[in-house]
Amino acid sequence: MSSFGFRHSQGLWVIIASFIVAAFLLVMPLPDAMVYYRPEWIVLFLIYWIMALPHRVGLLSAWVLGLFVDVLEDSLLGLNALGLALVAYLALSVYRRLRMFTMLQQASTVFILIGLHQLVSFWILTVSEQNTLSNLMFLVPAFSSALIWPLVFYGLRYLRRSLHVV
Amino acid sequence: MQGYKLLTLVLVSLIIMFADNRFGYLQQARYYASYTVMPIHWLLEVPQSLSEQLSDVFRSREELFRENQALQETLLMQQYQLQKIDHLTAENQRLSGLLNASAVVDDIVVRAQLVSEASDPFRKQVLVNKGTAHGVYEGQAVLDADGLFGQVISVEPYYSWVQLITDSQHSTPIQVNRNGIRAVVTGTLGSRHIMMMINMTDTSDIVVGDVLVTSGLGQRFPAGYRVGVITSIVHDPGQPFVTVTVEPTAQLNTSRDLLLVF
Repeated sequence: MSSFGFRHSQGLWVIIASFIVAAFLLVMPLPDAMVYYRPEWIVLFLIYWIMALPHRVGLLSAWVLGLFVDVLEDSLLGLNALGLALVAYLALSVYRRLRMFTMLQQASTVFILIGLHQLVSFWILTVSEQNTLSNLMFLVPAFSSALIWPLVFYGLRYLRRSLHVV
Repeated sequence: MQGYKLLTLVLVSLIIMFADNRFGYLQQARYYASYTVMPIHWLLEVPQSLSEQLSDVFRSREELFRENQALQETLLMQQYQLQKIDHLTAENQRLSGLLNASAVVDDIVVRAQLVSEASDPFRKQVLVNKGTAHGVYEGQAVLDADGLFGQVISVEPYYSWVQLITDSQHSTPIQVNRNGIRAVVTGTLGSRHIMMMINMTDTSDIVVGDVLVTSGLGQRFPAGYRVGVITSIVHDPGQPFVTVTVEPTAQLNTSRDLLLVF
């Protein structure tokens, strides 16, 4: 925190706007054949912003974002908050490595992070008797998220650089 | 440092989830927080209302004329059927009057439109464009043109979430229309829209094709709305009960125009 303290932060609106877009992508109606493959947009965007600006997007912002998603999806209050805080913690501890990784390595890390997020949600839903699944279909979004990660990465990096978000 | 922060947040999340799931303490908080997601719900509605308006604007006279004619015809047919129903309702009321039963009251319905589905394809839940501002309350019954659709499970100021009758968390008290047997149908896991009639004994008088209507027990759904049709009955000697599959009469996959019952 202190090492970045002297730098003037700007472009908060870009981060917020990107999450609003992600929220819209999350609830946007999809054709029947594609609903099972909907990537976890919010988690993808969160991983990118933590990797790019770990001094600005952290655990608490991830947690608040998760509460927002819970209200948006009408899921158990705190479910996504817990999952996103967990992902944020892991992403914060590996962001230096993530920056050095090749695209394939990054995508596999994203797969693991999102798979973990899905697994934790699955556990909690099972414990709270709100589970709607009995197989491993809940891991499918982790695959599609990893596949779409390069697009998210280059897209958001382009946005961040051209709009000077630091 | 980060570890302690994570631990705190995880504990707070667990406490919130427990309070939300077991006691429903957070209904009010969720209601006020839902103001923040209103713009996104509204955005979801835009393409639909836009396309509706545009198709109204770009409609040819010929097309309107034809549609008008078709509607006139169906209206005539339905008025003819209503004549008989009027007579039957009056007779029914006289009979229940004789039996000292409570009077049958007509339900008031309000039209609502489907905005979106839950993003999790295995959660059978949809968003409709009426909320507390229109008087919607939790537990309200939702119909479509063909039968019972679901019930309101969570309300926001201008939108509300409706759980479909085929959701695995949902059960509907029903009655067999033919002979009045009371039972319960519950939704199923997975994304298909089928229901199971539970706890039916081998000797129950039910056959494939029986129409099931709401019984009004449980005080959630008004009595007499169509719920589904029995599509298969399997007698397995190894099972204590019969496996009865029910297909909903409501068009759960395609209906956009829904009715809220007050």
